[in-house]
Amino acid sequence: MDDTPTFLAHLETHDTALTLPRGGDLTWDDADLHRAAHTRDPEGYALLGLAPGVLARQRARVLLQILAASQAGLDEPTRAVLARVARILTLALPPAHVITVLLALRRLRANHKHTTRTALRFVLEHPHADALIAARRPALRDCFEHALGTAAARGCARRIDGGDTGSDYLRRRLLRFLTDPHAAPARVQALYAAGHPAGHTAGQAAGRDGAAAPVPAEPALAVDDARHRPPTVTATNRGDIAATLVHLYRGGPAADLHAALGRHLGAAVAAFPRFEGTVALVLDASASMRGYGEREWAVLSQAAALRMLLARVCARLDVIEVGGGERDPGGATDLATGVLDALGAPGHAPDLVAVVSDGYENLFPGDLARVVATLPRAGVTTPVVFCHAMFTGSDDLRLRRPDPALPQRGFWHQDDFADLLPWMFGHCAAGAPWLRAALHARLDDLDRRAAALAA
Amino acid sequence: MTRTPTPATALETLLPGPLGLAGHRLGTPQQAGALTMVPIAGPAHPGFTPPRTGLKLTRVAGYGRVELHNGAPTGVAIVPLHIGYIQDAAQNHALCRSAFLAAGQSLMFEDACCVQQSQGGYLTERDQWFFVLPAELRARALELRGVHGYDKLWADIADLNARCGLARRGHLEQILSRKRPVLTQFQSRLELQPGQVGALFFVAGRFTGLEIAPDPRYFAEMWTALVCFAYGVAAWRAEPAPPGPAAPYEASDLAGLRGALARDRAARLAQVTGWLAAAPTGPAELQEEDRYLGLRLSTLTAPHLAGQIVTDGDRTVYASLFAR
Repeated sequence: MDDTPTFLAHLETHDTALTLPRGGDLTWDDADLHRAAHTRDPEGYALLGLAPGVLARQRARVLLQILAASQAGLDEPTRAVLARVARILTLALPPAHVITVLLALRRLRANHKHTTRTALRFVLEHPHADALIAARRPALRDCFEHALGTAAARGCARRIDGGDTGSDYLRRRLLRFLTDPHAAPARVQALYAAGHPAGHTAGQAAGRDGAAAPVPAEPALAVDDARHRPPTVTATNRGDIAATLVHLYRGGPAADLHAALGRHLGAAVAAFPRFEGTVALVLDASASMRGYGEREWAVLSQAAALRMLLARVCARLDVIEVGGGERDPGGATDLATGVLDALGAPGHAPDLVAVVSDGYENLFPGDLARVVATLPRAGVTTPVVFCHAMFTGSDDLRLRRPDPALPQRGFWHQDDFADLLPWMFGHCAAGAPWLRAALHARLDDLDRRAAALAA
Repeated sequence: MTRTPTPATALETLLPGPLGLAGHRLGTPQQAGALTMVPIAGPAHPGFTPPRTGLKLTRVAGYGRVELHNGAPTGVAIVPLHIGYIQDAAQNHALCRSAFLAAGQSLMFEDACCVQQSQGGYLTERDQWFFVLPAELRARALELRGVHGYDKLWADIADLNARCGLARRGHLEQILSRKRPVLTQFQSRLELQPGQVGALFFVAGRFTGLEIAPDPRYFAEMWTALVCFAYGVAAWRAEPAPPGPAAPYEASDLAGLRGALARDRAARLAQVTGWLAAAPTGPAELQEEDRYLGLRLSTLTAPHLAGQIVTDGDRTVYASLFAR
């Protein structure tokens, strides 16, 4: 999984559209990258599509890749995971993206049994199937005919039109792919209702009565939790753990606050699998991390929350404080020495070094970058990542990037940990099983929510 | 942990003669862009009112006339040299000199300067924040102490604005308020050390200022005004371009890397020490301005620097000196 962080970063940032111009070729600018990642590890690739923060356009590519590729040679558990991911993505993407993917499969002449199943379930069993058919009937009919083969699709449609709901033909050709065969006949009828099956209206949006109907834009299933961002960010509306810490730092009632802290931390920890490795955390506890005025403790409290979370999630967490201490922050920022101390004695290197800092390096600026640039030639292979402690998501970081070459990711709210931890652990070999476990848990959860949609 | 060595340079190199700084020690320099700050640790002198919490601007009695009040129950206030006050919708003013204010005492500064050419209104006590005049204006402001005339600094402010690429107006607010987001970052880019009572400032390798406060709390309350405004403006003007890709050290293992880093840091500390040694020197002249009990406030003038100091016998309690 050496390429996981790079590929994940790609999935989170490469936001070009997948397009299928009428009569033209499919435009898929990063197809090679997806194909290679899929070939390396089909299951890991598919699961990565569900990682928090992956762009919808990239999730559409993952769906296209797993539906376009043959599953020959894959074992049954892997096929099952791919099928589940594909199903989740058809529900979690805006329907227009899924239709593009299914039409692309037709253009690519990709048809496998797993493709058929996923396509049919989308066309006939999507929670908004009726509205989608009304809005995109010709396109969905094309998808339907590609999935079953034109002759079989039209054969099914004719039989359904004649009142067939469960003949052997219908079962073998169509109903066996579905989980809710009862709803299918009416929707197949709707697919063919507006005219001749061979009508050349593909791509037009026409309603049952000929009037245009809007395509439902919202996905049926939200993969990433909607973030509730306060209009005004304060020191204490950045998540429960940090808020409790701020009150503790300000001298609030310790017993009550510690009890609350335990509860909030327990709830946060439960969302993550255990990381069976060692993380060395270089924690910036300098004066700037404490901050001043209304922002006092805001940044440090979230960094401390991350430290507490990691202490519970990781088999081992070594913390190297820079400047002062978490409860008594102060002094200058020497990140370079912090990283050298974090790397430990030869033979005892951690699996990952994570620098958590606001990015104000003053002793001396540039040293972190030079030390990190020297690590490969000093025989150090331990990955180093930079977790940018911010006040809000819109902080100006121009003067706060001590080493632009380091992989870096910002955080300011407790909700950010859901993306931050997979990103961090994704950078080390010991993180591969963690990431897979975390994404499997996510898939299980999404499956449950998808089942509830259908119910 | 690797410890960074401390430069052994005595402050006396820079400041021979009148400044009794024997108890003060230089710490490890910090850098942010073009600004280098060498922290100074030293004795804490009791009995002084901190400037932000204790000292208030109570009213502006007319352009160029500013009244300050020491509201602390005990403790004499040393009015920080070249302090200025900013408030929305009021004329911003700065002082050209320091002074003593006993506990409970108010003092009218008749020689204040208005630093905002076209904004009407007078400052009152509400929602004010203070700054220290940018280093570029300090020598002139000191020369103008005792001179009445609210507009006396406008031409110099206009020149500084022009050098900052701003409209040539006697409006310091153009820099202090409009550039505040970038200037206030200096209070995080550089970090106050525990127990710090002063600092040496260099901009682009050139000595720019020396600040000494009576105790750590006083200095902490001056920190923002000094790093962001007194020295931050010159540093912002000299902000270097972001560095290119970092060059690795010659090292084949971690021990070698630690050694290379330590040598590199020692070289940079030597460089800062070199800047200090290279600062011009010359005979300093002292002129007493004010006294309170055993304290003496004096103006120091030398070919290379100027400013004001407060001494208690042979000990320096406060100093605000800048390169000329």
